[in-house]
Amino acid sequence: MTTTISRPTVSSDRWDPRRIPGGGGLALGVAVAALILVWVGSDGYRQTLVISAATYALIALGMYVPYLMAGSLSMAYSAYAGIGGYAVGLISARTGLPLVVAWIAGPIVAALVAVVLGMVTRRLSGFFLAAVTLLFGMAFTAFLIDAESVSGGSGGLGNLRPLNLLGWTPSHYHVVVGSAVVVCVIAFLLDRLRLSPWGVVVRTMRDAPRAVEAAGVRVPVLNIVALALGAMIAAVGGGLFTYAAGSITPDTFTLNIVFLAIFMPLIGGAGTPWGAVAGAVIAVELTLNFPAVQTSGTLLLAVGVLVIMLVAPKGVVGYADKLRTRLWALLRKERDRG
Amino acid sequence: MAEETLLVGRGLTKRYGGVTALEGVDFELRAGEILGLVGPNGAGKTTLVDLISGAQAATTGELVLRGSKLTGPASRRARAGLARTFQYPQLALELSVRDNLLLGWAARRHASLWQMIVGAAAGALRPRVPADQAAVRTLAEELGIEGLDRAAGDLTLGEQRLVEVGRALGQDPLVLLLDEPFAGSDARGVTGIAEVIHTVQRRGHAVILVDHNVDLVARLVDRVMLLDRGRVVFDGDPRECLASPQMQSVYFGSDADTDTDSGAGSPETQAEVEDVRS
Amino acid sequence: MTDLQLWLSAMEMGCFFGMLALAYHLIYVGAGFFNFAIGPYAMMGGLCTSWLVITYDLGVWPAAAIGVAATIALAAATELGVVRPVQKRGGGELPALVAVAAVLFAIQQFAGYLFGYPTLPGQSLASFAPVPVGDITVQPSSLLLIVVAVLTFVATAAWIRFSRTGRLLRAVGDSNQAAALLGLPVNRIRLIAFVVAGFVAALAGLLFAPKAGVNSLSGLHWSLSGFLAVVVGGTGSVWAPLLGGMLLGLVEVFLPYYFGGQSHVYGMLLIALLFFAFKPQGLFVRKVRA
Repeated sequence: MTTTISRPTVSSDRWDPRRIPGGGGLALGVAVAALILVWVGSDGYRQTLVISAATYALIALGMYVPYLMAGSLSMAYSAYAGIGGYAVGLISARTGLPLVVAWIAGPIVAALVAVVLGMVTRRLSGFFLAAVTLLFGMAFTAFLIDAESVSGGSGGLGNLRPLNLLGWTPSHYHVVVGSAVVVCVIAFLLDRLRLSPWGVVVRTMRDAPRAVEAAGVRVPVLNIVALALGAMIAAVGGGLFTYAAGSITPDTFTLNIVFLAIFMPLIGGAGTPWGAVAGAVIAVELTLNFPAVQTSGTLLLAVGVLVIMLVAPKGVVGYADKLRTRLWALLRKERDRG
Repeated sequence: MAEETLLVGRGLTKRYGGVTALEGVDFELRAGEILGLVGPNGAGKTTLVDLISGAQAATTGELVLRGSKLTGPASRRARAGLARTFQYPQLALELSVRDNLLLGWAARRHASLWQMIVGAAAGALRPRVPADQAAVRTLAEELGIEGLDRAAGDLTLGEQRLVEVGRALGQDPLVLLLDEPFAGSDARGVTGIAEVIHTVQRRGHAVILVDHNVDLVARLVDRVMLLDRGRVVFDGDPRECLASPQMQSVYFGSDADTDTDSGAGSPETQAEVEDVRS
Repeated sequence: MTDLQLWLSAMEMGCFFGMLALAYHLIYVGAGFFNFAIGPYAMMGGLCTSWLVITYDLGVWPAAAIGVAATIALAAATELGVVRPVQKRGGGELPALVAVAAVLFAIQQFAGYLFGYPTLPGQSLASFAPVPVGDITVQPSSLLLIVVAVLTFVATAAWIRFSRTGRLLRAVGDSNQAAALLGLPVNRIRLIAFVVAGFVAALAGLLFAPKAGVNSLSGLHWSLSGFLAVVVGGTGSVWAPLLGGMLLGLVEVFLPYYFGGQSHVYGMLLIALLFFAFKPQGLFVRKVRA
């Protein structure tokens, strides 16, 4: 009872590459991404699949922050992806600005919209929040159709300009690789963010908002920051897809995608952002690239989600993690015996 | 110990519709003081803690912390120097004990909107701040908390309370509000929490300790406030309180047998507290 | 379109939304949460019936019976197979919300897979001649929808008020835990709530389908409309959902008429924001018993 509890001096942690926070996920994610890129090669259809998977992954990663970290299920993400997409479309079709500007403006506008929507709905949670945000997504689609002079109406915007980075125009394959890289970088950063003090506060907000408030953080404000961050990530995904597809219509990002994005982390595993990425790859594989089940792929996915929710609440990544832990334990036992 | 006045409450009142939970409560808390808040269930103890911490808005009345008015949401009051625990521990059950303890430090760095935005970027670039980790380890050692990697949901109620108290201490509060911290605690938990109380006192800060177990509180505090049906009926020395007629009437009714033990609490727990005091 | 026709149209919409809201209400009272799969239940009732009639040349009545039975089975499966196990695991309302979202999505996909994705025309149960009212004629299917809706509300109100099960439903709804402690058959009552809700929703979908047809994706919009109707009406009385439904029916019909195109979608969003922000308890609140 003699020592005072104060902030002590820094004790040096030994530097160990295996202990980089989020390093394991990154290594695995990059390895799988590399394998996928090798598998894709120059096959145009497979390239489209990768773009779709990357877009799904980015939308799911965007939702990861408010939904799985902060615990509020906002379903307006079709609109945020749409904003990112229309930023690319509008800047390409209506201005002479460099196309890169779209990837800055889109996420910022999406974040601002998320802030406004978040402020209006700050007192809502659960079912009420889900309903309002779904309606917002519908209203956004209606707006895109109505505002023909801006958005091109239901026909959307097409014939988009190619990207020009200081005189270098990336090929379609470059875009495919680039989208995989973007997904890996964002998943890695989110994984680290999850472990950081910011992540601790946000994740505490989910189970114990009163404790966060009592610790000096204004919960509604932090919630809105989380929503804005998520909207930005989804907008990046929307921009990416629109650029790769060369056009965008009000139907490009439907509410279906939002539902899929809710389920992706459940399929892959809610414990880490990489689960959302894994879920996105599985979802695309099932819904677009499984010839035998193509028409019923989405049904398979929906049923799969229900089964996973009931049987393996931690998803594929969680399951793999459990297997890995068991395997290590087994190996260690063998070694001790030997 | 005539010291600086830290926190003053004047005329704190809380009404829900026609029901009055708290009626014109006045109190003064000096630096280095430990104030016990006792009373039977429904006396208004938790309501008073909620009004002070900002979890609920007072119907009327005001609070002054170190000369400036204490108003606004709980988060603002926390930044002004309040920290609290809850009657039912509010921990992030899926997070580790380490991360739950970290909240006190982490929250301090995400107080303003700007800090929240910058904090997100900084967090992604540098997730583990060694100074924080070391501080958490020290805190855990002081409190006797082991197994920092366990999920908070796997802890016993007593361990959860200890973690919650530790988290509040991590905020380095001027006034620490503890709402029934001993309920469900074992001897080690009681020692740890008593330790925290004295740490705060040594820093020259103050503690408000809520419990319905008057005997236990009386051993720890400098002064006791007895609440009954939303009013303060006694304010003064703990020993005097135990013997006071108000005490008798609140806990046993006016014509009760005065020999009856006045609170629960296992003998071991109380012995433990005696140890800590000596 | 004459004014009278618009009013009739709004009333039909109102009755349909009201029935969906009633289904929400029943499950809310019994199980304390909003079952977003109500819209897909209604879609199932309508689409399954149309598909049976069109594909297998089945009579309307047997087809309708199968459609309603299938929907009731779905509702029961939702409770037994998904909601109950998920809620038992705890963790607040988010898991239950995600679970019903998954059910909603799964039913949509299931219906699309089974019955195809195109919109099918609704099948009318009524075979009498159109009824002239003033300067318009009321289609038999419209009349049937309105009459059945009113009857459904009367029957439900009577059921809740006078039958033992109905009274138990309210007791269970007040507090699932307290009811369990009292030894009330909570699980059975919840299941009954789901079954009756499934029946009401299927009936609603079946009767509304002739108006604009039905496809596998109709359910989501219907879910939101029904939810909005129950929020606007409030959970204070059995009749509140009907009132909420009527209000939304007016919005759904008159806004597009005067402001064109998609204005009803904006109207719905606006109503949702207004109600959720200022009056989340709805127009009719049941007095909280102290």
